[in-house]
Amino acid sequence: MSGKDWRDVIAVADLEKNWVTRVEVGRRLIAVYDSPSGVYASLALCNHGGADLCDGYFDGHVIECPLHQGAFDVRDGRPVAAPATRPMRVLEARVEDGMVQVRM
Amino acid sequence: MTHGIVTPLTQALAEGKLTRDELKSFMQRSDGPALRRLTLWVLVLAGTTTLIALTWNSWLIWPAMFLQGIVLVHHFSLQHECVHYTVFRTRKLNDIVGQICGLIILLPHRFFRYEHCDHHTHTQLTGQDPEQIPMPKTYGEYLLYLSAIPYWRAKFTEVLRHASGRLSDVEKRFIPKEEHAAVYRDARMMLGIYAVIFVAMALTGWWGLIWYWIIPLFLGEPVMRFIRMTEHVGRPTVAQMSDNTRTNLVSAPWRFLCWNMNYHAEHHYVASVPYHALPRLHEKLRDHIHVEPRGYFGAHLDILRQIREARG
Repeated sequence: MSGKDWRDVIAVADLEKNWVTRVEVGRRLIAVYDSPSGVYASLALCNHGGADLCDGYFDGHVIECPLHQGAFDVRDGRPVAAPATRPMRVLEARVEDGMVQVRM
Repeated sequence: MTHGIVTPLTQALAEGKLTRDELKSFMQRSDGPALRRLTLWVLVLAGTTTLIALTWNSWLIWPAMFLQGIVLVHHFSLQHECVHYTVFRTRKLNDIVGQICGLIILLPHRFFRYEHCDHHTHTQLTGQDPEQIPMPKTYGEYLLYLSAIPYWRAKFTEVLRHASGRLSDVEKRFIPKEEHAAVYRDARMMLGIYAVIFVAMALTGWWGLIWYWIIPLFLGEPVMRFIRMTEHVGRPTVAQMSDNTRTNLVSAPWRFLCWNMNYHAEHHYVASVPYHALPRLHEKLRDHIHVEPRGYFGAHLDILRQIREARG
């Protein structure tokens, strides 16, 4: 048991296609990514400067921060462009019955 | 609720100056426009290079080298766009082209990226913005800056400092520790490449690059200093993006050379927007930013007026 539960966060139909969608879950802001290989999720704030990644540019599997264009691979959080140097916090995500679920 | 920091972009979205759909459409990237523009860029360079060759035994080589220099120093504009990953959709191409530009103008790409990020964080805030050009207090200071002498002194000092394995206290603030070694390596590689080029010229006895590259670069840099001054100098030293940055309306050839970076306030509002979408973004934001309709010369008239008034 991981102690984390799957939670419905948004309907798949409401996701911005091939883009990033901002979702509020309780007090948390989450970024949900509609990518070519499925749905991924991460905490929404960039771990470099604190800007909201949901206003950034999303292409393929890379989310780019709107403030400094630091970038992360949404599949594993790996930083792919400076000034991002630390992995971003990704959340397990899946689609069940037309809903995006995130484990948190 | 956790919220991101307030940025010009979040403000623009919150205030309805820009919708999310518009933002998304402006941010779309493509390799095509940049590759076409780059082809034209190379043709322009070939043209100015030919002019130098044609004027080799005449005094006309000096204006020809000046023209070449104007194009060469604008590699800064292309490199700047590459720093933001907004030239090409293919991310690697931005890195490659940015590094080539940096080699042409003595500006290591990785270092510039970190420095420029800090500029976007602390735009025009005295003591915090590492790229801030101070407002000249006298006409002498103004002319000295335009000579590019202080610029080159700073650049050579900077690269030599990095090559010797040191960073200034300011640089340590915006370059993370894990990147220090890479910054030193970049500077050493750059100096190494220059050394190889000079040794090759000495061995072959062909010193053409001095005339096609080095002298034009130094002749052209005052033009880039003239342009760089128009972006923020003379604007208030405050955090408010609508005040601290100047957009200059310039003619098509200058827009081509500077990769539309004359739309500077728009760029600072949304740095993720590629150069080719900045004119469209300008139409959306023009009433919310400071626009100098008289272009670069208008900006300098404004700067000179402020020097005159400050001197009483």
